[in-house]
Amino acid sequence: MSYLRLLWIFLRIGVMNELAYRANFWVQLLQSLVSMGVALAGLAVIFSHTEELGGWQPAELVALLGVFFLMSGLIGALVQPSMQRFMEDVRQGTLDFTLTKPEDSQVLVSISEVRVWKFLDVVQGAALIGWALAEIGLQTGFMHAASFAITLVAGAAIVYSFWLVLATFSFWFIKAENILVIFQAVYSAGKYPVAIYPRWLKMAMTFLVPVAFAVTVPSEALLGRLSTEVFWGALVMAVVMVVGARVFWLWGVRHYSGASA
Amino acid sequence: MSAVPAIAVRDLSKTYEVPVREGGLAAALKSLVHRQTRQVEAVKEINFEVAPGEIVGFLGPNGAGKTTTLKMLSGLLYPSGGQCRVLGFEPFKRQRDYLRQITLVMGNRNQLIWDIPVLDSFERNRAIYRIERTAYQRTVDELTELLDLGPLLDKPVRNLSLGERMKCEVAAALLHKPQILFLDEPTIGLDVTMQRRIRSFLAEYNQRYGATVLLTSHYMADVEALCKRVVVIHHGQLLFDGQLSELVQRFSPHKTIVVELENEGSDLSVYGEVVDGVDGRVSLRVPKAETAQVTGRLLSEQAVLDLTVEDPPIEDVIEQVFAGV
Amino acid sequence: MTGLFDIYTTLFRTDLAVQFQYRAAMVIWLIGRVIEALVFLSVWTAVAESQGGQVGGFSAGDFAAYYIIMMMMGHLTFTWFMYEFEFRVRSGSFSPLLLQPLHPIHRDIAMNISYKLLTLVVMLPTMFLMVGLFDPTFNTPTWAVWAAVPVVLLAFLMRFFVEWALALVALWTTRTEAANQVYFAALLFFSGQMAPLALMPEWVQSLSALLPFRWMLAFPTELLLGRLEPEEVLQGLAAQVIWLGLAWGMMGLVWSRGVRRYSAVGS
Repeated sequence: MSYLRLLWIFLRIGVMNELAYRANFWVQLLQSLVSMGVALAGLAVIFSHTEELGGWQPAELVALLGVFFLMSGLIGALVQPSMQRFMEDVRQGTLDFTLTKPEDSQVLVSISEVRVWKFLDVVQGAALIGWALAEIGLQTGFMHAASFAITLVAGAAIVYSFWLVLATFSFWFIKAENILVIFQAVYSAGKYPVAIYPRWLKMAMTFLVPVAFAVTVPSEALLGRLSTEVFWGALVMAVVMVVGARVFWLWGVRHYSGASA
Repeated sequence: MSAVPAIAVRDLSKTYEVPVREGGLAAALKSLVHRQTRQVEAVKEINFEVAPGEIVGFLGPNGAGKTTTLKMLSGLLYPSGGQCRVLGFEPFKRQRDYLRQITLVMGNRNQLIWDIPVLDSFERNRAIYRIERTAYQRTVDELTELLDLGPLLDKPVRNLSLGERMKCEVAAALLHKPQILFLDEPTIGLDVTMQRRIRSFLAEYNQRYGATVLLTSHYMADVEALCKRVVVIHHGQLLFDGQLSELVQRFSPHKTIVVELENEGSDLSVYGEVVDGVDGRVSLRVPKAETAQVTGRLLSEQAVLDLTVEDPPIEDVIEQVFAGV
Repeated sequence: MTGLFDIYTTLFRTDLAVQFQYRAAMVIWLIGRVIEALVFLSVWTAVAESQGGQVGGFSAGDFAAYYIIMMMMGHLTFTWFMYEFEFRVRSGSFSPLLLQPLHPIHRDIAMNISYKLLTLVVMLPTMFLMVGLFDPTFNTPTWAVWAAVPVVLLAFLMRFFVEWALALVALWTTRTEAANQVYFAALLFFSGQMAPLALMPEWVQSLSALLPFRWMLAFPTELLLGRLEPEEVLQGLAAQVIWLGLAWGMMGLVWSRGVRRYSAVGS
């Protein structure tokens, strides 16, 4: 369990680093609030013209938005900055430091950078979810909460693995960073239920940039509208991606170290 | 020599306001609303004049105020006090006619465009400075010859080595045949051969076109090779303005010999002033005139593993200058 | 003026050469823009379907046409200098620009236009592809296409000056993200991107007449969709001219203040 301790150390360092720039907290707070405001205003405009969107009620869409922010916060705080730092390191050639350390390279690379204030998005998301559940008057039983938690973790694992695969590509293609633009665009499509999109975009959002698993699926679990097939599908997908990403990563590392030797 | 000076600086000062950051959450929150600052005097009432065609070296350690002075003279910063005139203009007004007659080259910054051939970057400058085409072509040919740019002109800047890039940067900066050259650490990061190359080019350029050159550096070698006149700046104040030979003679009459012996613990004080002795490496300060003699004696009388002769670092010279004021 | 013409042609030439080398990144950027348009398109199509086929005078086909044209208008008028300037100041590459006998805005205009010319090569076929996929309804009268030429030109210039002024915030602070975010939020709602302005609440519509955003995007889009009467177009043109003047004035003011501040503080 030394990896947990390692994670804790990195988190603490990351937090202390950020705390030195206290202004960042206020900037991030403002940005998070503006994002939330804009998204909610958008929903308000939409629901001034209709009562449901793609089979989802207004409060349900707020819950979806909450899960969206929750996931954004988790990814934006840890996964994204670390992966971007990694891709930068590959480009600058400073990666060798990480690879020569005794700890597992994947772990080190994954927790190398923390943006603590991004957790504000998580708090924001949770608040939205809380409000939405109260609005709907949904009774969250244990099974409910459990399936939400499980699909959330699965979703996070899937997104993390996606990022890892993307990062691994930069061993060969230094300009892999450009793909981030597409990631951002497709991910922001996840603010709305996947059902409203044309088929090919739905496919892309499920298998290419897995935002469907990150946002829509956990939201469906939360709201009790998740089918069993999708639930198990998400779990299988998570396992496949985590294992696959790791195998690809190890292969990439071996290839990279071999190349520069 | 009653000619109008190319550069005239009188009581020139520059003071910055620097934010003061305290620790603690309360102070941080307060600082978001009301920022506390303190004054930093980067340049304090300096005075000097430069005649057209002179090459003047600005010496001083990092943070002395050299770059700040240069930025004020080129027009990037406006002075907090005093005045400066370059070619009769007030630099900070950045009038077009002024900008067309000056150039600023900063050692570690590149203005050439990374992805296209050098010649294309030159073309952009030709257009921006509105250089007449035949004059431009002639200048390009001259600079190509002086700097050996022939094989480089067609290559994208990213394919050039650091030294090659610096040559091209310097050339690009001179396409409009400026009368005043401001050079801020132009040889920083370059290898010795390239440093020498750039220096000899600048000397040649000054000879041929009579351009006035203001050069800052913390490499003594830059100044020694190019400048008859040096201005020493330390803590924003002008400490010395005169001939280089005078400066060297007055303030660094010594050389340092660093010698590594087989048998540690020998007493070398008979050869010169022992400045430092760590792990068998002894530093000796000897008067310049005696350097060759002492070196010879050490080599013949001691079991020497390694021996180097060094100039005292510029900081030491400056300290001497400062101490002498 | 021949000097300026020579400057622009030289800048164009070299900018095209540089940008062509980053064509992969350009294509990827375009994909992002297409997806963005698709999101709005899909949302409003879903709303229309839930309301029996149309909402606020827009059918699914109308929304498709709206967002395809909006995507093109967005592409023709957008700038990125609010990010570029932050980088320039931070990396110190802004100072050399100040010492050249040319207002830096010219380089940026040239860079912006050459980028759009290059990406138009991919944007146009993409637009046709989307027309094929989404079956939009177009009712554009011929005169509107001609009127679109000055309208789009004015929209481009107006938006350029406004966003260049926004970019200059970098001369005061490194924290440009907040200002940028507020700007883009306002743009989203008042320019007709979030929803066609006719579908927005009354107060948004009134306010948007007073702000520049509508004249940047919604106005040219509605014109090209044949949704405007000639006199509305003339009124819109007048608004654009006024805003162009205001934007240009504001940009000049922010520039001189910004440079003064930058020269006081240094890089």
